[in-house]
Amino acid sequence: MTPIDESAAAVTRRRRFSKGRARAGRMFVAPNMAAVAVFMLFPLGFSLYMSLQKWDLFRLAKFVGLANYRSLFGGDPLFVIALRNTVVYTVGTVVPTILISLAVAGVLNRKIKGISIFRTVIFLPLAVSSVVMAVVWQFVFNTNNGLLNIMLGWIGIGPIPWLVDPKWAMSALCMVSVWRSVPFATVILLAAMQGVPDNLYEAARLDGAGELRQFVSITVPLIRSAVSFVVVISIIHAFQAFDLVYVLTGRNGGPETATYVLGIMLFQHAFAFLEFGYASALAWVMFAILLVLTVLQLRLGRRRAALEERSWA
Amino acid sequence: MTTPRNATKEPTLTSRRYATKNSLICDKSISRRTLLRGAGALGAASLALWPTGCGSDDDALTFFFAANPEEADARLRVVDAFQRRHPDIKVRALLSGPDPLQHMSIYCAGGKCPDVLMAWDLTYAGLAQRGVLMDLNTLLAHDKAFAAELRTNSISPLYETFTFDGGQYAFPEQWSGNFLFYNKQLFDDAGVRPPPGRWEQPWSFSEFLDTAKALTKRGRSGRVSQWGYVDSWVASYSAGLFGMNNGVPWSTPRMNPTHFNFDNDVFLEGVQFYADLANKHKVAPTASETQSMSTMDLFSSGRAAMAQGGHWRYQTVDRAKGLDFDITVLPTGPKGRAARSNIGTTGLAIAASSRRKQQAWEFVKFATGPVGQEVIGETGLFVPALRSAIESAGFAKAHSRIGNLAVLTGGPAHSEGMPITPEWTKVVALMDRNIGSVLRGSRPATSLAGGLSHAVDEVLRNQ
Repeated sequence: MTPIDESAAAVTRRRRFSKGRARAGRMFVAPNMAAVAVFMLFPLGFSLYMSLQKWDLFRLAKFVGLANYRSLFGGDPLFVIALRNTVVYTVGTVVPTILISLAVAGVLNRKIKGISIFRTVIFLPLAVSSVVMAVVWQFVFNTNNGLLNIMLGWIGIGPIPWLVDPKWAMSALCMVSVWRSVPFATVILLAAMQGVPDNLYEAARLDGAGELRQFVSITVPLIRSAVSFVVVISIIHAFQAFDLVYVLTGRNGGPETATYVLGIMLFQHAFAFLEFGYASALAWVMFAILLVLTVLQLRLGRRRAALEERSWA
Repeated sequence: MTTPRNATKEPTLTSRRYATKNSLICDKSISRRTLLRGAGALGAASLALWPTGCGSDDDALTFFFAANPEEADARLRVVDAFQRRHPDIKVRALLSGPDPLQHMSIYCAGGKCPDVLMAWDLTYAGLAQRGVLMDLNTLLAHDKAFAAELRTNSISPLYETFTFDGGQYAFPEQWSGNFLFYNKQLFDDAGVRPPPGRWEQPWSFSEFLDTAKALTKRGRSGRVSQWGYVDSWVASYSAGLFGMNNGVPWSTPRMNPTHFNFDNDVFLEGVQFYADLANKHKVAPTASETQSMSTMDLFSSGRAAMAQGGHWRYQTVDRAKGLDFDITVLPTGPKGRAARSNIGTTGLAIAASSRRKQQAWEFVKFATGPVGQEVIGETGLFVPALRSAIESAGFAKAHSRIGNLAVLTGGPAHSEGMPITPEWTKVVALMDRNIGSVLRGSRPATSLAGGLSHAVDEVLRNQ
């Protein structure tokens, strides 16, 4: 065999080997791809198809075109209420979550004795299921014997009907939601804070900057991408709120319409009224709103980063 | 904790596999291939078994119902009694989850609709309209003997509850209307005359209020230590029940209505009276005050003199230690004609898609017929829906602690129905949203005439 033949055989072997590897790779990925297709792409496509139908599970689906979307935007006053409540809930959850998480992560980032104990305690709510959490908070919000009202009583504030009065129900819901969201946000922000170089702080200290100034002028700008990520994820979670509301204030998002958010509206139309077409249309509207918000947020983030780079240059 | 006897003697799979480096490599390549083959075989086997795994494991008649554990036992006694008489028909019970309508819908949508379904008076119409339930008249027409039995033995308000759009979609199997439990000891202690013991002897709203006031006690701090009246039912439904007892039905007409009477002044007077019990007269706890203790616990522990509820609360009350209780009728408003309970009933229906219609028919006939109803009555867990069973010695024996048994036995015949509409779930959601503020006392009942009434009528118009 000539050297040319040998090298050709080697190339063929390598090709065969790489083909085999590629086939093996496809085989390994196939189950995951199948799962994505069955459990994500198919439901997505099916819900888009259903949003153009009138379907109650029992009778044959009937094509209604964009009628579900038209009645959602044109003739359903509850959609406006649900959208308003969802926006209030999202703002009432995301803003305090970011502020509290920044503060908590800032504290946990310090090198002090026993910090690991505090970190564990702060992350505990992450391990608790939303339903269990909501049940526990129901006890906390009990008007006459709840822990929160007892504590408020110590400072002279009378019992507040947290879950009974529509004026207070949304605040109560936001409180629980913030309590649930803070650990996750803290984990992300803390990880980002630990990546900030120490020499920047040393330089700032030499220039006479205090702790607060260092935090505002060094830490926060340098973890901006992590904050953006947390904001996007928190908005998505808040917009999809369902389990917490369902357990805490009931399947109709009461009292009255105080906690009637889009997630509850979707569930109610699908499983109580058996209007799966309408519920699917609502799901796609929610998806569209979230998509627009996320894209806007990312674009704003990129523009801000570009401006900062330019100003440094 | 015990250790398996040979655990220390037998070399483990791991220790054998990792004995030497060479054998590790050899074993590893073989084991990976073997593993992949095994996984493939397992996958193929599971796919092959899929159709059989999802299919029914036998040809049994499926019976879907919702019940707490005790009630489930009672229903299984009916199933056992049926199987003794019909050994050739096997019955498989399917117990519902917390939301029966949802559970049932998922079964039916998946093509596995149970053969016999429990039907609720307020929600069956939606299923009937969608063609899920079979019109039992088609089977009844071929069974003259049972039809005659039903004509003479059934209680028409209950039977007619399941007559919708000209079809009979279920036969009633129990009555679960509302009445009042009262604590005899607390009445005696306060020197208050016991309330009436029959539906034919009504007591007025004002008599009821005076009684509730006399039985409400406050401590030195002003905090209530004993309530005159508590409600263990759904507050918005109870409000409507008081409206109905003021002489105006919930809707016009009752079956497939086009209008709810939330704009009727007389109906709303009854609703307002109910709301005032907690907000104005302070003889009933508010929603905040029942957050830490259920109303039935308040009654069972002697901290409430009267409790509104249905027979489903009987076991709780019966088991309460040292509680001397009886039952009485609901009060009648100044414009009411007679004391009325709500019909509140469940029935048994047959799925239109059932492949075992004849067996299902035999089961429904048995469970809603004289024998099954007598078994139901003897359990003490339900009020049967046939006259013969309500008046049977077994039913009386199961309720020996109740002095005013006529409240139970006469209940079904003195009931007025709540509206039967396929849109009930939407109406309930609207009621939930609008009545809350009236029940909290932040708006008068007359405010319902504007918002709720129009909203409900619109839902009914668009169905």
